[in-house]
Amino acid sequence: MADSADRYDRRAFLGRGAATAAGLALAGTGAPALLSACGASSPSTASSSTSTAGVSTARPRLGGSVIIGMSSDIDGFLPAQSHFDNTGLTYANAVFDTLTSVAADGSIRPHLAASVVPNTDMTSWTVTLRPNVEFHDGSPLTADVVLQNFHALKTSALTAQAVTPISSVTTSGDLSITFNCVEPLVAFPAYLTTQVGYVIALSQLDSKSGSQNPVGTGPFKIVSWEPNDHFTVARNPNYWRKGLPYLDTVTFKPIVSDQSRESSLRSGTIDLMVSHDPGIIADLQHDSAFQQVTDLHQTHGLPDMDFICLNVSVPPLNDLTVRQALAYATDPAEIVRLFGRGVLTPNTSLFPPGSIYRAADNGYPVYNPTKAKQLVAQAAPRHGGNLTVQLIDVTDPRQAEIIQALQSMWQAVGFKVSLGQVQQVQYIDQLVGGQFQAAADEQFGAPDPDLNYVWLSPTTANPPIALNFARNKDPRIETALQQGRTHADQSARVEAYQAVDRLLAEDLPYLWFSRAPWSITGNTTVQNFANPILPDGTQGQGFGGGVFTPGQIWMKA
Amino acid sequence: MTRYIGARVVQLIVIIFFISVVAFLLVHLLPGDPTVSILGPNDTVQARAELLRQLGLNKPLPVQYWTWISNVFHGNLGISFLTHQTVSNAIGVAFPIDLELIIVSQLMAFLVSVPLALAAALRPNAILDRVATTSTYGMLAIPTFVVAVVLVLVVAVKIHLFPATGYNPIAQGIGPNLRSVLLPSISLALGSVAIYYRLLRADLIATLQEDFITMARAKGLSTRYIMLRHALRPSSFALLAGAGLSIGSLFTGAFVVELLFQLPGIGFQLIAAINSRDYLVVQGMALVAAIAYVVINFGVDVLFTFLDPRVRRG
Repeated sequence: MADSADRYDRRAFLGRGAATAAGLALAGTGAPALLSACGASSPSTASSSTSTAGVSTARPRLGGSVIIGMSSDIDGFLPAQSHFDNTGLTYANAVFDTLTSVAADGSIRPHLAASVVPNTDMTSWTVTLRPNVEFHDGSPLTADVVLQNFHALKTSALTAQAVTPISSVTTSGDLSITFNCVEPLVAFPAYLTTQVGYVIALSQLDSKSGSQNPVGTGPFKIVSWEPNDHFTVARNPNYWRKGLPYLDTVTFKPIVSDQSRESSLRSGTIDLMVSHDPGIIADLQHDSAFQQVTDLHQTHGLPDMDFICLNVSVPPLNDLTVRQALAYATDPAEIVRLFGRGVLTPNTSLFPPGSIYRAADNGYPVYNPTKAKQLVAQAAPRHGGNLTVQLIDVTDPRQAEIIQALQSMWQAVGFKVSLGQVQQVQYIDQLVGGQFQAAADEQFGAPDPDLNYVWLSPTTANPPIALNFARNKDPRIETALQQGRTHADQSARVEAYQAVDRLLAEDLPYLWFSRAPWSITGNTTVQNFANPILPDGTQGQGFGGGVFTPGQIWMKA
Repeated sequence: MTRYIGARVVQLIVIIFFISVVAFLLVHLLPGDPTVSILGPNDTVQARAELLRQLGLNKPLPVQYWTWISNVFHGNLGISFLTHQTVSNAIGVAFPIDLELIIVSQLMAFLVSVPLALAAALRPNAILDRVATTSTYGMLAIPTFVVAVVLVLVVAVKIHLFPATGYNPIAQGIGPNLRSVLLPSISLALGSVAIYYRLLRADLIATLQEDFITMARAKGLSTRYIMLRHALRPSSFALLAGAGLSIGSLFTGAFVVELLFQLPGIGFQLIAAINSRDYLVVQGMALVAAIAYVVINFGVDVLFTFLDPRVRRG
């Protein structure tokens, strides 16, 4: 698909970019107290094996190479300057390490950090690094390196907002660094699992070509990166996690067309592929020649959601009755039936089913075209007799079909709907600049709801650049978001985000469809691609949001 | 002939100048704000202004053009805003891919179309001619991307004979290299085969009606000799003109095939750069593609002077 030729695309910005472009997105665990490592344990080497896709507990085979088809390429390897989408984060997981990691149960565990400890009111967090960790250039991981990385984030136009709530940083000794915050930041450890949690060597940070030559502490070292063609890495023989990685080399190939990626997997050109397309996921789902893992059943954190973003600051969408009419006119079940290929299910909430943050009944309007017609008749006189809406999306054949289906639904109840497709960069311009009425969108993927603060907060809804694209300024939402951000008590956080869910259903800045799907599919030779074991021995999050960790993959003989 | 070629060179320089102006202006017509591409949307107005100043985008267009073209003459096409790779390096990677695709595909096209046209023209409306003419109609009607998809499904996915995607440089061995370009080259060649066959066949049939061919036959020369030595050369003008246009346009026109086979050639990179508004890459790639187009057609014009002396006499 054409939209995938994306070095800096909507997905990069709206999805995984939350931790960078979106202000301090501190993904918490709900139990944000003390994190401490129990030493760096080795991954499992049990001799028995399981049949779960992407998970193998058999004894890993050392050596071999894997070729992985990715959905896009990235624009560089500097966490402070580059836009890490799912591909960027996966590349980064090969050559860098984050200070903390997400475990399979959604909790946050230490990674490069040995511990992350707050003060009593959580306005200060002390990170103690693991000793004897070296970067690929042989330099040691120290608190000063982390400090320099933080300064790079602080002075970068891309990430400065992301670290605004951190007022100062101090080091104490070689391995201890303290982050002082302007308010309690309950989810701070989870923040370190994201783009801003990667630590790179000073030699990369200070180099003019640092963007092209990553120097991290990760399991693999760069061999070559040819933008839009391949990124190849080789085993780091001095990796601080003894016994890892298993593979000699990994080659990532950005193959922008989902169909071409599938053909490449089927022909044996690649061994493993990531996909975001329900059609491709469905094609490969029941094929015994392949093993597939999706994130569709993951309930911790938030997945990306597919929805229509309504600009509530412009007429006629500044009229709640008009937004209600659109919501009643939109049939998520039909959209999912038409375009979900049996993979998706409707979802009319910010949170997926099973999430503790999802309100039992958030009050979101249920499809009712009769009610929609009544609301149109009620609102139209206030807007000159006609309700005219323009719906935009990025240029993409599948998206074009979806917005055509919506056009049909909305016109059936009395709206006049025009459609527009624009290039990705222009699309982002229009969203942040507010030059749109309705836009098909995909957003909100995060390991913790607080990561989405900047997308939802009224404080970021003001011109000229609003990251709250819908420009919804409900003060009750800000109150709830603040409660979620600053209260350590889990029940208080649940209450806060359930309130956000209900308020969004009441204000209707978003018309929900379903969660956005991600899958990773491999041939039967590739083992353990969704089964990382964290340094403290706990099970890591295998695959989510199109991101995975290649360090523990191995190949059958 | 020197005067003819000299005049064509002057013409070429003027055309390349206009191409450079168009390539330069092209990026200013792209929608969107380049500072958003580079900085992301959450920067300050001051940061955007500073970036525009650093890039020279706040200066008058003629000044921007002069700065850019001066750098181009020094081999400096700038640095990609996004990948921080030099544009020259990006072109250095992309250009050989297109060059190889074009050489292999056009070699295939000529090797099939020329013998076929010679055989068909020899006996117009015979079975061979009818089959070939009908087949080439079909080749013209089928879009290149459909051919590409079918080839991938049959040859790569079903038979596993060739890779479905990717490019292996010659440095990795001639075998892997040819395997990686064969399917995309066949996809591109089919359309060319049809065009070249039809152009050459029509001209050959006309040429074979000429008196000098009758004379050659009367002298007892063999059909093979007459076709190759007497008929082919004067029948090649339309073929060469068509080939010049076709080959030149493949530098950017092959992007659909490049996308399907994931070959990062000029067209592929150009589209990616336009989508992400990577100013200097767009400028550099467009400039190179356009210059390649006019230089190839200049070469065809020069070739005409060798084939037909009347051309150089004006």
